[in-house]
Amino acid sequence: MEQLRLQFPSDDFTLLGLILLLPLVGAFVNGVFGKRLGKQGVRTMALSAVGGSFLLCLIAFAMLVSGGHGEHGGHGAAHTATRLTWNAWRWFTIDGGTSPVPLDVAFSIDPLSGVMMLVVTGVGFLIHLYSSSYMSEDPGYYRFFAYLNLFVFSMLVLILGDNLAVLFVGWEGVGLCSYLLIGFWFGEEKKAAAGKKAFITNRIGDFGLLVAMAMLIYYAGTLRFSSLEESHAALNQMRTIWPLPGLELPAFLIPSQPIRASVPTLVALALFIGCMGKSAQLPLYVWLPDAMAGPTPVSALIHAATMVTAGIYLVARTSFIFVLSPFAMAVVAGVGALTALFAASIAFAQTDLKKVLAYSTVSQLGYMFVGVGSGAFAAGFFHVLTHAFFKGCLFLCAGSVIHAMHHVIHDEEGSQDMRNMGGLRKHMPITHATFLVSCLAIAGCPMTSGFFSKDEVLFKAFASQITTTQKGLWVAPEWYGQAIYAIGVLGAICTAFYMFRAYFLTFWGDFRGWKIVKRAKKAHGHAPHGHHGTEPLEGEAPHESPWQMTLPLAVLAFFALFGGLVYAEPLHLTALERFWHPVFATASTHVVERAGAHAMMMPLLFVGAAIFAVGSGAAYFVYVVKQGQPAAAFVSAMPGLHRIVRDKWRVDEFYEATILGFFHAMGETDVAMDKWLIDGVIARLTSGIVQVVGALLRLLHTGRVQVYAAGMVLGVAGIGWFVLSPHATAEVDGAKLRSTGELTLTAAPGHGYGYRWAEGDKPMPAEFTSTAVFTTKLERCETKKLRLEVRNVFGATTETTFTPCREMGNDCCARPTAAASGGAAQTPAASAAPTLRLPTEGSR
Amino acid sequence: MTVPIHYFLVLAAALFATGAVGFLLRRNLLVLLMSIELMLNAVNLTLVAFNRLHPANHAGQILSFFVIAIAAAEAAVGLAIVLAFFRLRGSVRSDEATALKN
Repeated sequence: MEQLRLQFPSDDFTLLGLILLLPLVGAFVNGVFGKRLGKQGVRTMALSAVGGSFLLCLIAFAMLVSGGHGEHGGHGAAHTATRLTWNAWRWFTIDGGTSPVPLDVAFSIDPLSGVMMLVVTGVGFLIHLYSSSYMSEDPGYYRFFAYLNLFVFSMLVLILGDNLAVLFVGWEGVGLCSYLLIGFWFGEEKKAAAGKKAFITNRIGDFGLLVAMAMLIYYAGTLRFSSLEESHAALNQMRTIWPLPGLELPAFLIPSQPIRASVPTLVALALFIGCMGKSAQLPLYVWLPDAMAGPTPVSALIHAATMVTAGIYLVARTSFIFVLSPFAMAVVAGVGALTALFAASIAFAQTDLKKVLAYSTVSQLGYMFVGVGSGAFAAGFFHVLTHAFFKGCLFLCAGSVIHAMHHVIHDEEGSQDMRNMGGLRKHMPITHATFLVSCLAIAGCPMTSGFFSKDEVLFKAFASQITTTQKGLWVAPEWYGQAIYAIGVLGAICTAFYMFRAYFLTFWGDFRGWKIVKRAKKAHGHAPHGHHGTEPLEGEAPHESPWQMTLPLAVLAFFALFGGLVYAEPLHLTALERFWHPVFATASTHVVERAGAHAMMMPLLFVGAAIFAVGSGAAYFVYVVKQGQPAAAFVSAMPGLHRIVRDKWRVDEFYEATILGFFHAMGETDVAMDKWLIDGVIARLTSGIVQVVGALLRLLHTGRVQVYAAGMVLGVAGIGWFVLSPHATAEVDGAKLRSTGELTLTAAPGHGYGYRWAEGDKPMPAEFTSTAVFTTKLERCETKKLRLEVRNVFGATTETTFTPCREMGNDCCARPTAAASGGAAQTPAASAAPTLRLPTEGSR
Repeated sequence: MTVPIHYFLVLAAALFATGAVGFLLRRNLLVLLMSIELMLNAVNLTLVAFNRLHPANHAGQILSFFVIAIAAAEAAVGLAIVLAFFRLRGSVRSDEATALKN
């Protein structure tokens, strides 16, 4: 260990570079040479890249943990966080402000990112292992692993970034990989569209993140998390957001009192917009259900365990900014709670197994935001961890089930439809066991990890309050935490219900896949077994998946079951919370527990157990005891409601009609404008003009010499006229005029020219002289009139007038009468309204 | 100097104008050639008239020699062109030399 510490000191921790490099190399090799390497080679490369990275992460984590003890023991000084940093290079410097802001490519490991990187590489490795078997029949095998490795690299960049700029690089990188992986089978229009939708919705959120970064650079002058944390109190200023200073607005848009907001509120809300996009909260969640078009391991890795949690990671990282704004925290918690409930309601009516899990993910992300929004950063992030385990396991189980179903029913939609499943616990025991464990975890069965994390989140939502020392900031009302709690409880009951609904439909009862549901045969192009219609098809029963797929399931299920013991407050096991305490110490100073709330911890625990009992019990009752009759009765009793819920509350259609419709309409308008205006008018007009002028000029091309000779004669005559007539022009030395006021006019020379000068309207002198220079003096802003008469050799004369003005830079020559009257009249107008400028009238 | 200089200049200008107008307006190629000769001769007259005005500077007479030589050469070449054109078109009208028409 000491050797390692010597090799990698904590402020130049180049091991980080290795951790990041391995997946990148894996992606590069697989991407470029994948075809030549063959399946074995690709698999080895990808697994070793991620596996190696995981091992290095373990080593780094061990160094982080032991380093903390050492430093505390040795120096006795309190470090706010043990950190292993590595500054790779200076990226660029932002100049132009009060002081230049340097941006480095720097990475660091602290307790938060340390745990997260273990999850990313660990779960990532398990999913790579899983995919090596799941995707083995896919022709794009090497491409898949290249993208998957690239994703792990980007995610590591995101969480290990030491400043927001590097985080943003990782943020965009995971967005890109998400697009590539969701649209992996891009040959099908729907899947490519799903990838596009994910990326574009993410980008809308990224706009918020960029705005937040810009604001932070402006107000804090830095993007490094450690620097921001130290100076976070300096951000506490108010800012007028409407009317914007410096903007000229018509009178009706100006409010009587300017609207002000505190800078942390603005920054936090902007950051949260980014989180809304990346972590699929209302209203930008629409991409996640569509993202199920990608392969199931992708859904497990990206949309359960890692990418979607980037939003919560961002909030946890910038927790010290969020707590400065109770309003933003309330928004975060509120949006999270609403999303949790909303998505849970949609999951009730879904028949596609992956869609149920997708909406469940959106819902659980809502819980995580409830956690961090209530000031319980450790609890919220703990839910991230447990969610990675149980949701990852659930998705991989779903993949296993779909894989088995696909062998029986070759139709893709049918193999994911829960109405075709049933009774699979007999055929797939390991998948069944792990799915059940994860279901228990997500529903909050007591003692599972999901129970502890969700309960902790809900308790903290109930009990916490964000305080602030700033005057005039909006603070959440007393009942807000309890309202969030109530919504959360409702959502949890729904979660338990629909998850167990999925469980019972898939694994209990008899296997229904022998009869293909009518809509599943819609897309049946080929027919190797020659069946159409609803006749039962005979085939092999669904079988268990190979070890590469069941081993990750077992590992994840183990953590889903026992992972809660690192942070089980009711059992007084709070190792994780203490480990993370330095990271959230600054933020925790603003979070207080409401009076008397601590006593409620035990009763709320029973509420948590009751949630599980009620939800799963109801699901058992409806789907096992009553064979789904109550559900069918509900559907027939309220078909309209059922349709709307099944159609995801028609949110996508709403977006399509309004926002996307707007862009479609704009596109149509632009096409029409291009066709009619630009092609029709402008292009034809210019070509028409050229044609006409050309036709006119062509008349000269008669081919007859005499016509050409006539042209020559005309030309000579013209030149002769110009040369033989006198020209009167003069040049002024402008710079000398402005500086000293001395005006020197130098007339243009000519053969035998004689000059006569006169000032104003005075008569010309009698004689023509050969002095081409005339000097006079001008005061500031004074205009004079000067006349010049020129005579050439043949006696022809011409005269011209000059009115030079000594411009002093403030437009004084343009207003000839402004000298005395303008200055005095300006002052009354200036005191009227500071933000309003009335147009100046000439009559003043 | 019994004859003032402007007599020569006016005569030369009249001859030049005649030649120029003839060149621009007549259609017979041979007449065109003759108009060119007329213009050249007018220029010659102007040159020697100015030489008469400034006898010490012989440039007028010398240049006049050059002009005569060039006029002779140009007449020869021009006639050759007219002959070639006649062989091609069978006529000496300048209207018919329109091969370069657009």
